[in-house]
Amino acid sequence: MPDFTLTAAPPLAGYDRSFGDIALKAPKDLAIVSIALPLGAEDAAKAAIKTAFGIALPEIGMSAVAKDKSTAIMRLAPDQAFVLFPSATPDAEPQIAAKLNGAAYTTDQTDGWCALEISGAGARRALERICPVDLHPDAFAVNAIARTVMEHMGAIVARTGEDTYLLLSASSSAKSFLHAVELSAKNVS
Amino acid sequence: MIIDHPLLGPRDAAEFIYLGDACLIDRPDWQAEDAADAYHDYGYIRDNIAGPMQELWYHEQGDRSWLVVTRDTLTHEITAVELARDVARARGRSK
Repeated sequence: MPDFTLTAAPPLAGYDRSFGDIALKAPKDLAIVSIALPLGAEDAAKAAIKTAFGIALPEIGMSAVAKDKSTAIMRLAPDQAFVLFPSATPDAEPQIAAKLNGAAYTTDQTDGWCALEISGAGARRALERICPVDLHPDAFAVNAIARTVMEHMGAIVARTGEDTYLLLSASSSAKSFLHAVELSAKNVS
Repeated sequence: MIIDHPLLGPRDAAEFIYLGDACLIDRPDWQAEDAADAYHDYGYIRDNIAGPMQELWYHEQGDRSWLVVTRDTLTHEITAVELARDVARARGRSK
């Protein structure tokens, strides 16, 4: 066996900058696992999710956060959701699969996505230039999520706080995505 | 153009891919006597509609759902947006 070890390095790990009243940083050790509800066994899968995380599967376009804030579930489509939780080890999928005990299909998404958290009073000002979805507080409540496109890159935008948004995009174009968000933040600050 | 997605609300048309006439949902019976003719028409024959038309749109930069959008080809006015799987089931296709 060759004598070397590989270290996992998320594409934007360690990024942390501020632009005026906008803070932009990449969350550390964020694991993402997708859940697909089996056709014909949706109710059993929903019950298993409730038991596993202590929160019900949210409505489409919304997310739910566990009481201890350790886990968030985003409902992306009628039969698809993402589970987000902090995990530094590459075993995110087995952790969720064990909790659901075979009631739903799980797939590890951690390596496919990069994450950025944009916060501060100007966060929405920066996002509304590149995000086609209406982010006004009346239209996009706290915990709302939307899968959309920003600067031609597929993205998920989640409102995690009053002025805080979590952005997910493909890890293969992570730096282009960072550039788009960074530039928009610079332009409005 | 804005498409009012039945699950996600109003979305920019840039998030969608256009396929064409929603008659593609009505796939002919491959065991019928006239299957060859029926598949020829299914594959190649389209009405050139000037007015309200049912079309298939795919929400690629979104939740990856197929939609049946009723759009007036003369004015681009959209009068109905439905999930394609609901339309297909209503027409007796799939489960």
